[in-house]
Amino acid sequence: MRIKPIAAWLLTALIVAAAIIATAPGSSYSRQDRGLPFAEASRAHPAGTDALGRDRMVRVSAALLLSLAGSMAASAITTAAAAGVGALAAFGPAGCGWLALLVCDAFLALPWLFLLMMVRSILPLTTSPADSAAVTFLVLAALGWPACARAVYRGALHLKRSGWMLHARSAGLRPHQIVRAAIPNLAPLLLPQFLVSIPAFVIAEANLGALGLGVGEPLPSWGGMLLELDNSAMLLETRWVYLPILLLVAVLLLLEAVAVEV
Amino acid sequence: MRIGLAVAQWLSRTIVILLLVIIGTTALVRYAPGYLTDEREMEAPYAQEARAELSVEAAQSRSIGHMVTAEIASWAHGSGGISRQYGVPVSQLILPRLAVSGALLLRSLLLAWTLAIFGSLVASAGRKPSLVWRAPATLLLAIPTAALATLCLISDHGGPVLVMGLLLAARDFKFLERALRKSWLEPHLLHARAQGIPAARLLRFHVLPDIAPQLAALVPLSLVTALSALVPVEVIFNVQGLGALAWNAAMNRDLPVLLAATMVMALAVTLSGPLPSRPNRADDAVEWTRA
Repeated sequence: MRIKPIAAWLLTALIVAAAIIATAPGSSYSRQDRGLPFAEASRAHPAGTDALGRDRMVRVSAALLLSLAGSMAASAITTAAAAGVGALAAFGPAGCGWLALLVCDAFLALPWLFLLMMVRSILPLTTSPADSAAVTFLVLAALGWPACARAVYRGALHLKRSGWMLHARSAGLRPHQIVRAAIPNLAPLLLPQFLVSIPAFVIAEANLGALGLGVGEPLPSWGGMLLELDNSAMLLETRWVYLPILLLVAVLLLLEAVAVEV
Repeated sequence: MRIGLAVAQWLSRTIVILLLVIIGTTALVRYAPGYLTDEREMEAPYAQEARAELSVEAAQSRSIGHMVTAEIASWAHGSGGISRQYGVPVSQLILPRLAVSGALLLRSLLLAWTLAIFGSLVASAGRKPSLVWRAPATLLLAIPTAALATLCLISDHGGPVLVMGLLLAARDFKFLERALRKSWLEPHLLHARAQGIPAARLLRFHVLPDIAPQLAALVPLSLVTALSALVPVEVIFNVQGLGALAWNAAMNRDLPVLLAATMVMALAVTLSGPLPSRPNRADDAVEWTRA
């Protein structure tokens, strides 16, 4: 049985459903119904409400869309940066390549979460929720490229030593012409890196949010919703509080299934 | 002679990486838009004092070069700077917590490696990758550390060692199983198995020596993952270690402490590395990312 197409279809269906719920007329992720905190599932609120009376289903849908959009954008930036650095290290002057790989090593020596925490903690106190979301995913993109750059470097080095590349060089092609010809050949390497980075960024955002350093309220995020689990009163009131974590795990499993062995 | 050269190369590489980390993190902190702001500025009783402290800090941090030199000098003197939040030398805050986090890391890594090595040896012995082994590992990797820790806390089952151990074991298992399976499919080993040579003998004399570089690379790679998991685990389980200290520093914008904690982490990862050649390290990092 081929899992990948099924996973891709399920993921698409989830995204479409989330988009319909989040953009339906009258639905808002930030509208508070102060008379209905911790509400159980009902016709008006199919997954109940949170401590501020906000519709949980709408918030989970918006969080899914925000998280996926942000992670995909971050992954695209990471992959582009890795392609640039990896190609420069392989095709550029020896000193330049050595320096690029040394910087990669320095980044790889640092645990992600510490750098993320550091960067998020030094944002201005007046940062808006939208800016905090943008900064969170930009920081993820800025920190995620070194491992990917190493993979690209390895692939580019392999290309550089290939027969057709030697022929191109001996025929007198200039370095920029060689790089232009090499980059499309790196695409089979870049696509898996792009896909593998997406779930990694979703998890990183969730972890950061669960520590109170992710996307700011009232914007919904996986991490922010995981914080609900700290509220023991809410756990006693409703089981719907587990919906975000179940959906997050399902999305991550689907993303992993799509990304595996592309 | 050759070993001496390798050690010298490794040491010089470690020093260069640490210098890069110090320069990079200092530049990151200095040019961040929120540098030289303090939450206390919003509260009237403390605003005056906070502004006075910030103006002193502003005068001391005019140039990156000066900041880097001051950071290195403070570590050379053994203080590591002064905490903004507590007003005490950073080393006084970090050193007692190092033992707590170190013990937690060590127990988690031992648990993870035991589970991962045992699981991967059994799983790789089969003809095809088995869902019985792969599904739990994939599921564990799809649960964020903070969520797993919170669920353990809510259900009153498991502690910080189990959460970190399971998370690491899942990642290590996928990495090792891939390496072992690749090794078992080598033509000479397939031939040897067909000849009826016992699997235990092949494992001892061929497979394990073959994957020894990957096993060695597992140490720094696991450590990086463990250190990242350390923060949510320590915060959620209220363990007074380095991760909780760093989180507290992040929440209170105590940058000297956060900077020092990051340096300690970078030092631990860099020193834990074996002496691999560059391409090997690249291969391991790629395989690890894929796992």
